[in-house]
Amino acid sequence: MAGLNRRNFMKLGIASGALLAAGESIIPSALAGNVKLQMGGKDFNYKTGAERKAIPTACWSCVTRCAAMGFVEDGRLVKMESNPESIRTLGKMCSKGQSGSNDVYFPDRILYPMKRAGARGSGKWKRISWDAALTELAGRLKKLRDAGHPEKFMFHYGRMKASSSKLIKSVFLGTYGTKTIAGHTSICEGGKWTAQELTWGGHYDNWDFDKTKFVLNFGSNVLECHTNHVPVSQRLIKAQVDRGVRSVTFDVRLSNTAAKSDEWIPVKPGTDGAIVLAMCNVVMQNNLYDKSFFKFIRATEDVNASVDKKISVLKKHLSKYTPAWAEKISGVKASKIESLAREFAKTKPAVVINYRGSVAHYNGNDTERGCQMLAAITGNIDNPGGRCRGVGAGWKYPKGLKDKPKGKALKLTKGFPGTIAYPSHGVCQQVLPMIKDGKAGRPEIYMWYCYNPVYVNGDSQGNIDVLKDEKMIPFTVTSNIVYDESSKLADMILPDATYLERWDWEDMVDPNQIGEHYIRQTLVKPLGEARDLGDVVIELAEKMGMPLGVGSSKEEFVKKSHEMTAKAVKGFPGFDYMKKHGVWHDPSAKPKYYSHKKEIKDLGGAILDEATGVYWKGKAGKDYTTAKGSAKKYVGQKIGDKVYRSFPPDKLSKSGYLELYSGLLKLKGYPALPTYVPIPAHEKMKSNELILTTYKVAVHIHSRSSHRKWLSEIYHDNPGWINPKTAADRGIKDGDKIKVKSSIGEIVTKARVTEKIVPGIIAISMSVGREESGRYGSGKKSPLAHDNDPDLKNKFWDTYGMHPNWIIPNSDDPINGQQAWMDTVVKVTKA
Amino acid sequence: MEKNGKQKDMAEVAKQRSNVYGLLATIYHKEITKKLLKQIKHPKFLEVLSDQGVQLENDILQKPEDEMIEELAIEYTRLFLGPDRHISPHESVHHERDDGDWGQFWGKSTVEVKKFIETAGLEYKSEYTGLPDHISVELEFMQRTTERETQAWEEKDNDGALYCLKIEKKFIEEHLVPWLPLFCDKVIKDAELSFYREMAKLTKSFVELEKEEIDNYLSEAQKAAPPPRFDA
Repeated sequence: MAGLNRRNFMKLGIASGALLAAGESIIPSALAGNVKLQMGGKDFNYKTGAERKAIPTACWSCVTRCAAMGFVEDGRLVKMESNPESIRTLGKMCSKGQSGSNDVYFPDRILYPMKRAGARGSGKWKRISWDAALTELAGRLKKLRDAGHPEKFMFHYGRMKASSSKLIKSVFLGTYGTKTIAGHTSICEGGKWTAQELTWGGHYDNWDFDKTKFVLNFGSNVLECHTNHVPVSQRLIKAQVDRGVRSVTFDVRLSNTAAKSDEWIPVKPGTDGAIVLAMCNVVMQNNLYDKSFFKFIRATEDVNASVDKKISVLKKHLSKYTPAWAEKISGVKASKIESLAREFAKTKPAVVINYRGSVAHYNGNDTERGCQMLAAITGNIDNPGGRCRGVGAGWKYPKGLKDKPKGKALKLTKGFPGTIAYPSHGVCQQVLPMIKDGKAGRPEIYMWYCYNPVYVNGDSQGNIDVLKDEKMIPFTVTSNIVYDESSKLADMILPDATYLERWDWEDMVDPNQIGEHYIRQTLVKPLGEARDLGDVVIELAEKMGMPLGVGSSKEEFVKKSHEMTAKAVKGFPGFDYMKKHGVWHDPSAKPKYYSHKKEIKDLGGAILDEATGVYWKGKAGKDYTTAKGSAKKYVGQKIGDKVYRSFPPDKLSKSGYLELYSGLLKLKGYPALPTYVPIPAHEKMKSNELILTTYKVAVHIHSRSSHRKWLSEIYHDNPGWINPKTAADRGIKDGDKIKVKSSIGEIVTKARVTEKIVPGIIAISMSVGREESGRYGSGKKSPLAHDNDPDLKNKFWDTYGMHPNWIIPNSDDPINGQQAWMDTVVKVTKA
Repeated sequence: MEKNGKQKDMAEVAKQRSNVYGLLATIYHKEITKKLLKQIKHPKFLEVLSDQGVQLENDILQKPEDEMIEELAIEYTRLFLGPDRHISPHESVHHERDDGDWGQFWGKSTVEVKKFIETAGLEYKSEYTGLPDHISVELEFMQRTTERETQAWEEKDNDGALYCLKIEKKFIEEHLVPWLPLFCDKVIKDAELSFYREMAKLTKSFVELEKEEIDNYLSEAQKAAPPPRFDA
């Protein structure tokens, strides 16, 4: 054919158009509807047909921080969904995320700065202006700083991540000069992180469900709650349903994760470590280990030990941990432990997963190290389908002034002196007890953010007593959206913006091992006089005559961060793109696996530390393990005659091996190899005593979401689960009122008699049981609350549950400072 | 200003592509109507066709229209409907798949076409009783998508237009290219009247042009709608 080309086809098009237009609408039509331009991203009011604007943002309900989409109609946020473009969430969102709009509009929300009008805790308040609030706060802060005591300003946060953390912690508090800063990681997952820092260096283990063939779970309720919940839980379900991947869950309770597993194996609380070690023993004695990985393992004091030597040392160490021994401790049949160990070792790849159920114990550190060992000896570390080192997104950000003060600290954040070996994520639960103790000094100003110190630590009454005492803490201030058990004890409350009314860049771990950059943007103007603390600290600094130099708002901080990141990361899109899409990942990036295998060819002048085999940029003659800040100077690990990137340290100066033998633990007098230590309190238990464990439910966020009506409508009562045998021994029937008494107090709650819990235990969810948090969560109206929520009339429940933290003492894992949530010994009787 | 000019150009290209797809969809949809035949035979149209190398012969041009319509209907039936050996105008019959699942009605390709079209937001009308991968449905789908693209350019919705182009590229590469040229070859070989032979030639060369140009359209579109840059 003579040739159709672009030019003459246009003529044909024009002529065809004319022909078709002149015809009797003769284009045949088999298809109805319109080509839709995007999947999702648009929505319409089903009553009025009005279009809703879809704005990408990021959730903040839990720490997973999923990329999200908010739908705004006439300036009101009407719905939250997931962002379909996110490679982390794959367009899925949990109930917590979907209830986000409740955070903005619940009738008991704090909308104005308030100052207490009576004695602290009396519940009397007066509304003040932002200017008055910040003038007073700036005055108090400046006075401390001018007097050379910035450390007397203590800042304690629950969740502060990514740009919020950088702006508030690094820039504002850094410029101010206080290092009396505490987080809440030890009441969450800190123990797990520290144990990982002691073994493979960093924290966050990503479980590669997309590629795994077997899942062995010790106490993680990953389908209901997890530090990276929706991204990983959906991948576990997908693996199970699409590929028939087998999963086995050890738990004291039939969680929904256990229920969806192929096998639920009930276990005595705090004994997972014994099972894991017995499994490691089976793997080693039967030569089912993956010899090739041992090159990267440290198993002895001698860092140059041969692979055969390491194998024989581990065999010897583990030989006492027989399945029969573990059966006596855990109640799990030896034959089951043996067969699962074999299955785990022979299925390639397989992933061992675990979380607070096995880690939030006195002995949790070595349970975590045991899991790391099981993964390592079977070669399931940082491999497709195994236990991988989490990959997040890296952002650059403006750091403010170059010459920040050195900073001073009150030693309140790492536990009582000498009690914790490596509190690398602080010891949150001991902050108020230590203030009470007074030996490490006391803050004059105690400020908390996204944190409810009274209720989220153990010993709620003890916390109230300290926080309420004006002699112990002269001034208390919080930035919050909810009037909760702690804001009740503040001298000043600043109305915080919700996460749906503020800017951030975000970076949470990506289960694809690639990394996804995403942002949070304001969906609606903050309600009332609410303001993001990120904006507030900028103004506060100005008022103190201490400009931060990072812009005039959080939004500007985020934009500047974007600009810096875009310069550093190839292919990074413009800010308009981020605003429109919310997420970005490098389409050419390959999943990160096996990064330990990277050889370091250029040592860049690093020197060898003979004791550890670490090449580091320290001073000759200095000991790498004990020199201050040495972990940051790590370059590589000498293995044989080569140097590898291997497993670099993060907060703790371990060697570059995956340390099953921990030089650091040895240094502090703890067993260097993972060891089972019984929980002392459980050893001393009397026959009529039970162990209290706690759990989260899928529809609540820790203890902090009961003000969200859609969630509390679903779950607003938390009866204690006990086994029929345990109940019968005490004459307790389902629904009976019961007393639960520990060494520090007593609560009255209801019994739920169920086979879904092992005998000898009572399990009480910490998701509800609030004394405050507004009408949906506690039945109580908050100060300055309004009544313009029509659902107040539809609320049908008047039970709010009973929180277990009144009777759980603050007690620490001595190695890492993790709060031992699951260890409390109690007596349960009919009330 | 220049950007708007480009948008206008892109709208024009999309519009003319849509027209050609519309014409071809009409031709294969069913037996040709007298009205359409008359329009095609219009000297101006014939001239355009001839510019493209389409040469209708005297069998079409000189016979009385009533007779011609009858003959074309017989040819349409013989070529595309049967009952004897015919060239079924459905993708699943001709699209030679690596997995071997082709050569029959309602094969894997049929399902894929149906899913593709429905995912794009369109649905098959209840009164349409044919198979989802009939040649005229596929051509209609392209006509509709390019029409939507035209609209997007006219509304200065660059992202929307780019989105349409991406759909088009995928459909061209996954569905048109693997079977239409093969199908057309068979028609060219079997046709007795010049009309369907020449239309098959036109169809084939248009699909080949589309295959060649779609990446160019995409990159031009990206230039007309550059990824936004951050300005401080």
